Amino acid sequence: MISKIIKSITLCTALLLMATVSFAQLRLPAGYYYKQLPNGLQVVVIENSKVPLATIEIAVKNGSFTEDSVYNGLSHLFEHMFFKANKDYPTQAQFLKRTQELGAIWNGTTGNERVNYFFTFDRDSLFQGLKFLNAAIRFPIYRVEDMKKERVVVDGEFQRMESNPFAQLYISVNKKVWGDLFTRKNPIGIHEIINTATPEKMMVIKNKYYFPNNSLLTICGDVKHEEAFAMAEKIFGSWESSGSDPIAKYPIPKFKPIAKTDLFVQESSISRVPYILYEWQGPSYETDSASTIAADVFSTIVGLNASKLQQALVDKGLASSVSVDYSTSRYTGPISIGVVPNPNKVKECYYELNKQINMWSQADYYTDEQLKDAKAILLRNDEYAKEKPSSLPSQLSYSWASTSLNYYTDNTDDYQKVTREDIKRYLDTYVVGKPFVGGIIINPELNKTVNAASFFAAQ
Amino acid sequence: MKKYIYSLLIIAATGSIKPAMAQNKAYDFMVDGVKVIVQPSGNNIVEIQTVIRGGVQNYPAEKMGIEAMAMRALTECGTLKHDKNSFKNELDKVSASVYAYTTKDYAVISMSCVKPDFNIVWPLYTEAIDQPKFDTTEFSRIKQDAINDLHANESSPDASIDKMANKVAFAGRKYAEEPQGTPEIINGLTAAETKAYYNSILTKSRMFVVVVGDIDQAQIEAKVKALIAPIKKGAPYTMPESFFRVYNNSFNAESKELATNYVEGVTSGPQLNSPDYYAFQIAMRIFADRHFLDIRTNNGLSYAPQAWFSSGSTSVAKFSVSTTMPNKYIAVFDKLVDSTKHNGFTPAELADMKVTYLTGFYYKNETNAAQASSIAANEVLHNDWRKALTLIDNVKKVTLTDINNAFSKYIGNIVWVYQGDTKKVDPTLYKNGTLHQGDNPVNN
Repeated sequence: MISKIIKSITLCTALLLMATVSFAQLRLPAGYYYKQLPNGLQVVVIENSKVPLATIEIAVKNGSFTEDSVYNGLSHLFEHMFFKANKDYPTQAQFLKRTQELGAIWNGTTGNERVNYFFTFDRDSLFQGLKFLNAAIRFPIYRVEDMKKERVVVDGEFQRMESNPFAQLYISVNKKVWGDLFTRKNPIGIHEIINTATPEKMMVIKNKYYFPNNSLLTICGDVKHEEAFAMAEKIFGSWESSGSDPIAKYPIPKFKPIAKTDLFVQESSISRVPYILYEWQGPSYETDSASTIAADVFSTIVGLNASKLQQALVDKGLASSVSVDYSTSRYTGPISIGVVPNPNKVKECYYELNKQINMWSQADYYTDEQLKDAKAILLRNDEYAKEKPSSLPSQLSYSWASTSLNYYTDNTDDYQKVTREDIKRYLDTYVVGKPFVGGIIINPELNKTVNAASFFAAQ
Repeated sequence: MKKYIYSLLIIAATGSIKPAMAQNKAYDFMVDGVKVIVQPSGNNIVEIQTVIRGGVQNYPAEKMGIEAMAMRALTECGTLKHDKNSFKNELDKVSASVYAYTTKDYAVISMSCVKPDFNIVWPLYTEAIDQPKFDTTEFSRIKQDAINDLHANESSPDASIDKMANKVAFAGRKYAEEPQGTPEIINGLTAAETKAYYNSILTKSRMFVVVVGDIDQAQIEAKVKALIAPIKKGAPYTMPESFFRVYNNSFNAESKELATNYVEGVTSGPQLNSPDYYAFQIAMRIFADRHFLDIRTNNGLSYAPQAWFSSGSTSVAKFSVSTTMPNKYIAVFDKLVDSTKHNGFTPAELADMKVTYLTGFYYKNETNAAQASSIAANEVLHNDWRKALTLIDNVKKVTLTDINNAFSKYIGNIVWVYQGDTKKVDPTLYKNGTLHQGDNPVNN
């Protein structure tokens, strides 16, 4: 008996220690409060009384990263169906009516690694708003006739995207960058999959990913965290956990590296201005989080007006704009360069762009002052990013899904710690001399004089 | 510099610990004939907008684009103290922005920075306004960039259809002029004539300044006084208003190889000082909800059905969709307008919309830039910046009868434009209506 009690005490102490350690490990900015409900739902409350509003968001680790060719585009359709019908509001007319009664501003997004749903309303409507969110996320109704209508709507969103030449090029480049696993980076999906989606397929997604232990609820605004946590627990506490991590249960395949550099020319009659897009497979948070930080610092350096890249291309009139970007991802984020070349100097622009990239890993490509300036910019950008309270949940959940809550908290400090060596390692590992995919989209008329294929090709 | 960065970090952290303070009351005052409007922000960001009234009224049609080029040149062609690169590099160092743009009714020269950088950025801002250089080499470069932007905009289907709608609907009016100009006009502009043009519109009589940030009044007054000291007084400017009315439905199409088709309609709207102004605004917001429900939810005809009231010196109502079924769209649209006119809106719709307005009002107040833009627009359009802050009071007064009357009064014949597959659309359905109730089922 004594032995059993001692064992219990030992176990309790151990659990307490684990809890303390786990609590100590989680870092959040001041004014952010965290709680995990017994069912696994993570809840963050952000107290911000700038305006008398409350924003609530539920984010789920779902999106194209979970989609094979049979499901590509259905996380997005699922997101649309969230706003259709549920047990409390059985038609979309009733659903919309309720949003109007709440005076809500609302939307949802589907990305590669996260789906999120968010509502902003008067702070006094918080409890009602959470109840509304609960009904929609846990008790959706999928009717064949509703889906038929919504499939056309989602396909319409796809067609709008295809009507934009920049998006056309983006899709073409990404197909080559991600190869057989392109679906994992293509949230808009495939026309045929969207147009043949069924309620059964919606339920498959729900039963795989829509669990509290795969979700983050964020409540932000003129609220008190104790009250907000109590509401969250009361409303979402009965949501049953799946018992295991869905992402571990349905593993995400690894991307095959780009085998060799591939450059192509795409003609489009709706492209009134040429556009160049280069893309590499960049770092993953899971395997190289340090490079995800270095990537942002480097992108900021080459965005400086004083940078060699901007001076060589924009200042000299070879391009109207050039931007370098890394998209932070848990599963291999893309590094991209987008260039709007001067239509009269496309060839010169292309050669200069390549020349610049080849110099990127040279120590003198940027100065110490530029490194310092980039860090100062990232510091201030954090201030701008935190200005709008209703946008904070979305920023937080992006990090939660693709990195971690600590990554979100430490991000700005981590930028300040980046060294030249970190940047060099990032560039040498992922960019300089590494295979990439490059495309140019150009109007056929302009291409008669430019003849892009004569130079825009892998050497 | 390290210490400086550190102090910024501390300020940022402190801002997060304490709940942001509620904003203090906005106020205005005059400095040498120029109105200055100040909205204390309660945060660490400073947004300033200097507004020059006039827009398309300021230039002849053959020079449209010249004001946009002048605005672009202010920050892209150097100043008398800084060449373009050193000007931009200094802004980069503090992640501040100074940029300028123009619309159909006014131009805005704005600056945005974090408060500790204010004394670094303000001198650059005043240089851009008072001492722009219009360097000829840089001007040639930005002409190419402006032409590229025009083409890029044309590649965006939403921007392209809206431009076409304006061009067709406002034919013969100043409002038909595109502030960004055309490639041909931009190509022909010189730095010298653009500079002369800028000097002609930069007058105290056309200007006012909006400050959203926690800068004390004495400092603002002193700084604005110095900013406007070299600027001439100029002749008083009054914005001419023009009422827009469509006497016949019309349909214009342009064939484009798009994955879907874009449709936009333009019709009448109340003038800025009309007693119907707020009622119509609400009526259009409720109609937009109905339009969304009917077009997207009930009929699956479009991802992005929209309806809105575009207010300016020429105010209009607009409707737009992207759809693969344009003939079905116009049939549903006509029925919806007809039933709204016959049956009116409901008391619940009006009550709910008033709540939504309240959310929207505070939502807009979340950022200094949005507040400054709203104040600037109200000062230009209504000669009363306070309307940006009293919107809710004005909305509260509106009755169901007001919105029903306003909707019926202004939603009449429509100028329709279309881009996409012209074989998929029957123009007669747009010109004659689909309800077979006379020539035009949506007549007044």
